[in-house]
Amino acid sequence: MSDVTMTPTSPSNGASNRTSPLQWVRVNLFSSVSNTIQTIVFTAITLGLLRALLGQAFSEEADWTSVSTNLRLLMIYNYPADQIIRIWVSAAVVLLAAGLSLGAWKVEPGYTVGRLGRHLVGLGLFSLVTRLLLPVHAPDTVRTWLIIIGVVSLVAGVVVQRGDPDGDRVMGFGTVLSGVALTFLAVLWLVPFGQYGLVDGVLVAESGTTVASSTKVPWTVLLIIVVASHRVGIILGRALGRSLRAALAAFWVVGPAFVIFVILRDPAFDWAHVWSTDIPIAAMFGLGGAAVLYFVAAPGKTEVARAVGAMLFAFALFNWVAAFFGWYPMLQKVRISFLIFAIVVLLVPAFAGDRSTRRRVAGGWVAAMVVFHWLLTAINTESTLVITAPPFLGGFVLTVGIAYYVMLASFPLGVLLSLARTSKLPIFRVMSTGYIEVIRGVPLITVLFFFSIMLPLFLPKGMGISDLAAVFAGYTVFSAAYMAENVRGGLQSVRRGQYEAADALGLTTVQRTSLIVLPQALRVSIPNLVGQAIAVFKETSLIAIVGGFDLLRIANSTIPNQPDFLGQKRPGLLFISLVYFVFAYSMSKSSQRLEARLKDAQAR
Amino acid sequence: MSIADQALTEDLASRDDMIVCTGVSKWFDDFQALKGVDVTVKDREVMVVLGPSGSGKSTLIRCINRLEVHQEGSIFVDGIELTNDTRNIERIRSEVGMVFQQFNLFPHLSVIDNVTLAPVWVRKKSKVEAEQKAIELLERVGIPEQAQKYPGQLSGGQQQRVAIARSLAMEPKIMLFDEPTSALDPEMIAEVLDVMKDLARGGMTMMVVTHEMGFAREVADRLVFMESGEVVEVGTPEHFFTNPREDRTKLFLSQIL
Ligand SMILES: Nc1ncnc2c1ncn2[C@@H]1O[C@H](COP(=O)(O)OP(=O)(O)OP(=O)(O)O)[C@@H](O)[C@H]1O
Ligand SMILES: [Mg+2]
Repeated sequence: MSDVTMTPTSPSNGASNRTSPLQWVRVNLFSSVSNTIQTIVFTAITLGLLRALLGQAFSEEADWTSVSTNLRLLMIYNYPADQIIRIWVSAAVVLLAAGLSLGAWKVEPGYTVGRLGRHLVGLGLFSLVTRLLLPVHAPDTVRTWLIIIGVVSLVAGVVVQRGDPDGDRVMGFGTVLSGVALTFLAVLWLVPFGQYGLVDGVLVAESGTTVASSTKVPWTVLLIIVVASHRVGIILGRALGRSLRAALAAFWVVGPAFVIFVILRDPAFDWAHVWSTDIPIAAMFGLGGAAVLYFVAAPGKTEVARAVGAMLFAFALFNWVAAFFGWYPMLQKVRISFLIFAIVVLLVPAFAGDRSTRRRVAGGWVAAMVVFHWLLTAINTESTLVITAPPFLGGFVLTVGIAYYVMLASFPLGVLLSLARTSKLPIFRVMSTGYIEVIRGVPLITVLFFFSIMLPLFLPKGMGISDLAAVFAGYTVFSAAYMAENVRGGLQSVRRGQYEAADALGLTTVQRTSLIVLPQALRVSIPNLVGQAIAVFKETSLIAIVGGFDLLRIANSTIPNQPDFLGQKRPGLLFISLVYFVFAYSMSKSSQRLEARLKDAQAR
Repeated sequence: MSIADQALTEDLASRDDMIVCTGVSKWFDDFQALKGVDVTVKDREVMVVLGPSGSGKSTLIRCINRLEVHQEGSIFVDGIELTNDTRNIERIRSEVGMVFQQFNLFPHLSVIDNVTLAPVWVRKKSKVEAEQKAIELLERVGIPEQAQKYPGQLSGGQQQRVAIARSLAMEPKIMLFDEPTSALDPEMIAEVLDVMKDLARGGMTMMVVTHEMGFAREVADRLVFMESGEVVEVGTPEHFFTNPREDRTKLFLSQIL
């Protein structure tokens, strides 16, 4: 802290590049007798595990046909085949936004040529070791390919590493993305996808009828979209800067819901109703609200805003009570809109400003209301899809969709809870502590049961809740308690001086919290929050128990009940474990990178 | 003449009151940290607060911008009384700048964002205008080239100068300093004191807790000596450094000089 200028510390792996592999091995693995023993024992255990896994994968009764034939089922469950283009369009929209975002935020994982070399060497060694450990009845093609892959990547790895002896030649993210996409495409087009099976210990691949072979073209298009939109994102990001990033951030909040409820679900809008009811309501909230916000966002209107906001808030709460007792009818979305509006009116004056700020606030509100009401209307409209089994979402799409929105919704809820728990007002403290402790003392499955079976009994007449919504609500309520505890850890790490400095500058409590305290607290909480996100992702498997068809349920009960694959659980379960692992691992990796990046930026 | 107005020269006496503390008492649970403190600071005056550790110096100046709440007596800042009314507190805080011993810069914001934050969100200035002003201020404290860095990349002296610039960006009428150089390595103390002297010469009303006697002698209009929560003696530097009246003051000065 005391040096006049400090260069950001380079990642620690920079140093290990300069030692030769042999030196590294000696220093890290065989430095002492105990170290040597540990190395040998753990190598033996690892190799044993790998051998066991390979034995499973290539055992005589293993039949991967159950997985390859059911890939579509695992991905999208019973989504109608003639509408499958909707899935591809959805994926394209999401990937387009992903590419643009990576470009717009100039995400640079700092992948160096040297690291690529090391990874290739690692892949090569791994392939060769795997080849040695293959069980006897593994097919010859697999043996041959492992040797080819092993030798080629070893050699390539060593050559590549030569090209970057100091480990400082950073590869642009665009290059990395293109490389990954090309590898993926090569596998897609060159490896014979089809129905796999082991017949008398020989791997047979019939090409033709399976999904995998029919998806080459769409996958190719998707990968091109990612690579191209990353490039476009960089260029647009330079030109538009902050406004592009704001638009993309907005997309990540509502876009996926749009994709699910508008593109995938294809609601059959009743246009007469839309024009007579939905649009007028949206217009009333949008324009009326914008006028009020434009007024209260002026400097010096804080008092008025507080009064108006408090009144609106009381009215909004009263509407819910009235709904519960059935005093007067009111559309659910009107109630929700009132509540949101009241909260926004209470918060906005803290960020008030000159005319352009006020115009942005009002414009943002109108846009939010248009999107919000469109979405609510879509959700409340019957779907046009003819789906054979009840749930319209299933498989991987359900797992990812639920996980994503539970994380997205439980995060702000958790932040609010943690703020309440550390608040000076006892009523907030008691309520949030009670909530957190109760939820944390109850298993997730209980909460899910409560929401899907008990909650409908408590709701007022005529107010149903779909299975999917119940799962989402229950899971969000559950996850928020854990999010809150993670954020609280971060809040406690913010030093008192930060609060005092913010107060001394005249910031209001809302400003102090959102501009000073939370940004610091959340940074500290990233590892725990990501841990929680990973848990959310994995535990989506519990929604199977309350009626959802997620990955686990398909692998564990749907596939083993198909006449062709009666009782075959093992391949499916191995496959979904791999899927879960890949996602969880990449989440944890990216959080580590994010942390390192933030630390570098602050050089604390 | 009340104790608060001791040692007022004719020039000072004719000026407006900026801070008036009358009988201010403050308890932390059972412990009384301030015992009926009377202090007046005049417009454009530099008042240095002296006293041994635990004498209540920090508590006093933190009461003046309501970081601590006093329980008895009254505090007027620029004619506004500090009460529980949040509007008064907000007004006073935006008129009173404060510099802390530990700098308390916002580590997640760059230097320029640290300086522009309050003008943009509290004073509702436009970002462009706030940045222009911030660059001017950073030039004034001598570190315009560090604008894009983060606090963690600066030396202690540089951080404290940023902290001063951050306070000045709110265009305060009064600046409070709580041992601004105590956390600094010796070679960096001068650069911060220079900025403060500059500020004093520019006519800023300042209340400074410090152990830097050279600074007190050179810049202060008056000094106030506190011990165990009480004001023991108020006087000009000349009075303090040549013939202090109270024995406790003499003892303290003999230890520190
Ligand atoms: N938050 C607090 N809770 C309890 N006691 C406190 C608190 N803050 C200060 N005190 C007590 O009040 C007394 C005055 O503290 P203060 O910090 O004002 O002293 P000071 O003159 O600034 O001392 P120093 O030179 O060490 O900074 C001390 O005895 C201290 O222990
Ligand atoms: Mg102190």
